[in-house]
Amino acid sequence: MAAASESGPVRIVVAQPHAPQRLATVEALRRLGGGVHIEVVHDARACIELAGGADLVVVDRGLGGDGRAILSALRGEGPPAVVVTQEATAEAALDTFRAGAADCVTASADYDEVLPAVALEQIRHFRAATARRAVRERIESLERLHGAIIERFPAALAVVDAEGRVVAVNPAFARDFLAAGEAAEGRRLGELLPQDLLETGDLAGLAAEARAGGERAPRIARTQRNGELRAFDARAERLDGQGRTLLVLADVSEREQLKLLQRQVLQSEKMASIGQLAAGVAHEINNPMGFIHANLAQMEEYLADVQRLDERARELAERAARDGSPVVRAAGDRYAALARELDADRLLDEFEQAIRESQEGSERIRHIVQDLRAFSHRDDGQLVDADLNQCLDSTAHIVWTMMKHSVVLRKEYAQLPPLRCRPMQLEQVFMNLIVNAYQAIEQRVRAEGGTGEIVLRTALVEGGVAVQVSDDGVGIPAEHAARIFDPFFTTKEVGEGTGLGLATSFDIVRRHGGTLRACDRPGGGTTFVVFLPLAGPPAQ
Amino acid sequence: MSVATLLLVDDESRILSSLRRALRREGYRILVASTPGEALRVLEAEPIDAILSDHKMPGMSGLELLEVAARARPATVRLLISGWPDAIPEERLAAIGVRAVIPKPWDDAELKRVLADALRSPAG
Repeated sequence: MAAASESGPVRIVVAQPHAPQRLATVEALRRLGGGVHIEVVHDARACIELAGGADLVVVDRGLGGDGRAILSALRGEGPPAVVVTQEATAEAALDTFRAGAADCVTASADYDEVLPAVALEQIRHFRAATARRAVRERIESLERLHGAIIERFPAALAVVDAEGRVVAVNPAFARDFLAAGEAAEGRRLGELLPQDLLETGDLAGLAAEARAGGERAPRIARTQRNGELRAFDARAERLDGQGRTLLVLADVSEREQLKLLQRQVLQSEKMASIGQLAAGVAHEINNPMGFIHANLAQMEEYLADVQRLDERARELAERAARDGSPVVRAAGDRYAALARELDADRLLDEFEQAIRESQEGSERIRHIVQDLRAFSHRDDGQLVDADLNQCLDSTAHIVWTMMKHSVVLRKEYAQLPPLRCRPMQLEQVFMNLIVNAYQAIEQRVRAEGGTGEIVLRTALVEGGVAVQVSDDGVGIPAEHAARIFDPFFTTKEVGEGTGLGLATSFDIVRRHGGTLRACDRPGGGTTFVVFLPLAGPPAQ
Repeated sequence: MSVATLLLVDDESRILSSLRRALRREGYRILVASTPGEALRVLEAEPIDAILSDHKMPGMSGLELLEVAARARPATVRLLISGWPDAIPEERLAAIGVRAVIPKPWDDAELKRVLADALRSPAG
């Protein structure tokens, strides 16, 4: 094919009313090759109709008004129009250009050479322009698509330049982190995002890593908003060689909530089975403990008797050695010798010590069993309407003397409606949490000195009441976080804790239809959050 | 008053011997039984002032034993000893007229005091 084709065969529409001229035109255009389709029409209407799919329109100037109508219809969008004319005047040519013709060819001796050459050039030009326009349209449509995606993308996006300034954000970012009408461009992430989110997600580190081209596993950044904990999956990626990065913050609060719920359910099941086991074990231990405990007391009593007996015997032996007949004296000496050989004083002392230590051990076992029983107690206490602020207060009061040297206690209580609960049990929970908070602070104070702070906070939240016990103590190491509610899990010294405090608390809160969870306090330490539904404990 | 007779019931023989030692100097006449059935036979054969029974035993619980004892020998003082006192329903204790539930592990002095009290006023 002669024509430079973008795609498909070349189509030319010829609009010439008179047969001889028409024949000359068709003959001339045929020289372009067999692949060229030529359609002949006689008037403007037919021409305009066919021009839509054509690469070129050849119009006879002799069409007059019809010719001008064709030219004006094709102007802009349509294929180029070449006007053929019998008049070889400059004015005629100018007239056709003014009317919108792409070129003008005069009927002359070399008509059959000039016309194909002109036609070919126009077709090439038109096809190239068409191709360029198609590319431009494609680009525009892609841009519109990308714009729409970013516009509607559910996660917050921010593009940050190498200096850490925000270049652009999407509407989700504005929705999640900006006040109405607040602009983000040119500002730093540190000014735009909440402090706790920046810290828990280590967003500065994340961005730096991304800028350096490194890859890091996404992490969960958390922020407290209106008393509610929101979690964001945070990731950052390098966008280009100019050091621009894209920060993505996807709100995964619901997913995290679900995960938490699953963990709570698992924990609850574990509790229920361990509770049963604990009750059984406690009972079984109490039987042997019963006689061990009593026997130790009896042994103590008997030992006192033996000591008296021994004293008396030695007294007698002494007197015998002094005053007795030779036989009696010999017996007295033998007793004294045996007492020396056996080191009787030490023997009796150590016997006493062994009993005392065993009694301490048995006391400790009794304690563990008591805790176990408290743990397996299911429905102790009456259900009443109680004021949780008051419960918290009276509990804090009990342990206050112990803590006041190293702890500042801050209370942030909200007005709370009365809550249907078993106050004695909840006080046990608060007691556990406050004592744990105190111990965490003690641990830190021992290492670093200074004092600590415990914050007791209550809030009315959706569907219930939230009680927070927050400390700035040593915090919970990540490797312990998953186990703190497990029965018998303890980091305390042997003999100091049974590892049942948090497990019992968890169970009590669960029986109230609520949840108990721990989270890191920004800046170090731990916050325990008790959620209790206003509806009260579920029917059992 | 003549020497009071006590019947101690527990399926764990070491408990029985420990209890017996604890009460050795109290001047009671002490009989023991290691099953509820044996206890009922003793109860039938001898005048018993007080019966102190374990609760959790194979075949028959201490509470059930005391229930039978209450009908057969209403004047006998009834006491329970248990490693899991909270598991025993209070209303049943009241209905059967159990004077006290002694927890395991027990305190010897407390045990002696409770027994002495119960025997001093058997009807109370």
